[in-house]
Amino acid sequence: MAIKRDDFPLPDVDDPLTAPFFAGAAQDELLIPRCESCGEYVWYPQATCPHDGGALVWTPVSGRGTLFTWAVVQRAFLPAFEDQVPFVTALVALEEDPAVRLCTYVVDTAPEHLVADSPVEVTFRPLEFTTVPGRSVMVPMFVPGSAQP
Amino acid sequence: MPDTADWGHATELDAGLAPVAITGIGETAYTKASGRTAREIGAEAAQRAIADAGLTPADIDGITWSGAFADFDVDAFHEHFGTSHEMWTSPWGGGMAWAATAPYLAAQAINDGKARHVLNVFPVAWATQRASMTGGPGEVHAAQSLKQNLEVPFGWFPQPVYFDSIMRRQMIEFGTLPEQFGAIAVACRRHANLHPDAVMHGRPMTIDDYVAAPFLADPLRLLDSCLISDGGAAYVTTSVERARDMPNTPAVVAGVGEGYSSSGGHWALQRAFTSTPQVFSAPGAFAMAGLSPADVDVLTVYDPFTVVSLMQIEDMGFCPKGEAGRFVEGDTLFHDAGKLPFNTHGGLLSHAYVLGIAHVVECVKQLRGVAPAQVPDCQVAVYGGYTGHMASTLVLTKDR
Ligand SMILES: [Zn+2]
Repeated sequence: MAIKRDDFPLPDVDDPLTAPFFAGAAQDELLIPRCESCGEYVWYPQATCPHDGGALVWTPVSGRGTLFTWAVVQRAFLPAFEDQVPFVTALVALEEDPAVRLCTYVVDTAPEHLVADSPVEVTFRPLEFTTVPGRSVMVPMFVPGSAQP
Repeated sequence: MPDTADWGHATELDAGLAPVAITGIGETAYTKASGRTAREIGAEAAQRAIADAGLTPADIDGITWSGAFADFDVDAFHEHFGTSHEMWTSPWGGGMAWAATAPYLAAQAINDGKARHVLNVFPVAWATQRASMTGGPGEVHAAQSLKQNLEVPFGWFPQPVYFDSIMRRQMIEFGTLPEQFGAIAVACRRHANLHPDAVMHGRPMTIDDYVAAPFLADPLRLLDSCLISDGGAAYVTTSVERARDMPNTPAVVAGVGEGYSSSGGHWALQRAFTSTPQVFSAPGAFAMAGLSPADVDVLTVYDPFTVVSLMQIEDMGFCPKGEAGRFVEGDTLFHDAGKLPFNTHGGLLSHAYVLGIAHVVECVKQLRGVAPAQVPDCQVAVYGGYTGHMASTLVLTKDR
């Protein structure tokens, strides 16, 4: 059960199930698996489409969404977060399919300015923890955005 | 909110089984870190439940436990009691949602002639294990690779953060106030203060204490959150026919329900984010029992956080969706005054975090009339189990 990776809680960018997500982020692209046959977005990633068994292809999305909910975390539940609290971790519902919710950070704004269901936009930032010195992974985070067509 | 048909389903259960009853209950001490192993705790709970039923270990010919923990399984049973007889077994019992459905498994085994007296056991030693970080709710979750890659790096971990997010969305959708969540915590603490075995016995709490409590993650306060405890309990299920010749007032298993969300095991992705699968579980259990929520004298629900209680109260049909905040205010949940006596032992918030098994034991005590915070003339006691994408319902009644 214990977590063996020495870079935890950074994501394991080599895990085949999620590697394209982080590879995309490293190139400023938000990629979500989409079924080739039925066109549905499938989140979290799976081996095949749960609806029809179709192949899933990591597909670029707009990076626009809405702020579904968020937590202003005040207590560090892992040592890596001790110098981060308080921070905002959020669920963002993507414009292409609001059932796709990303766990993410909302940055560049104060918690008291966050508004439920307001538009947000992706930004790609390095994720770093002082408990994992010298390591960094590019990940999608979100900033307040303006409603787009 | 999605239509119910879109996001989950109930398990089909057989309403035609010959009735069974809970005939014995056993509990260990409920404590902070005790230094004991879960296996030791399980053995003690089992021993006490068997004795309470007026039986010996050799009479127990069926056993259920939680396969996810497996701290006290059939091998542990035989080792502890020095027995070796054949037993019907299932790892789909124990605590959490399965504390409600284990009696149904027992009823099937008893109906099939595979067992006469079925023991369900659930111990936990997370308070002890936490000191060495070898267990506990967070670690179980962190070990899953999707969480490790898509949730934990983003700070969306562990349970207080999931349920804080649900709580905020609940407040967004329905306007629930902090004090309304607090009313649940206060009722649980009030009951724990009447219960000498409760971990928080002797530590009164007011709504002002609740509001002043620190946030773990705003809007979720420390006092919205369950304890971490050592302890365990067990119960014996027997046919009602046999139960009538046994020492205790039978707690008849009148209805069982089980419901699933189709959104999988991740909280972040639950389509009906502010609902629980009680929407699917409770109606079946009440139908099987021929009862409705209005008939319930005591409700206990799996309550890791106040919002989970709030959602289940709505989803089981005790008030309309979105209205539980107003419903729980004041003395609604009190054992002696309320419309819906709730978690009358103190629940996971104030009694002990033993994952629901003590909730079922409390229902049995209420029906026997021996609960510390006894509800007068309790005829119907219900447990609502919850495990994220799964919920379960156990309707217990007096022998009618
Ligand atoms: Zn498909």
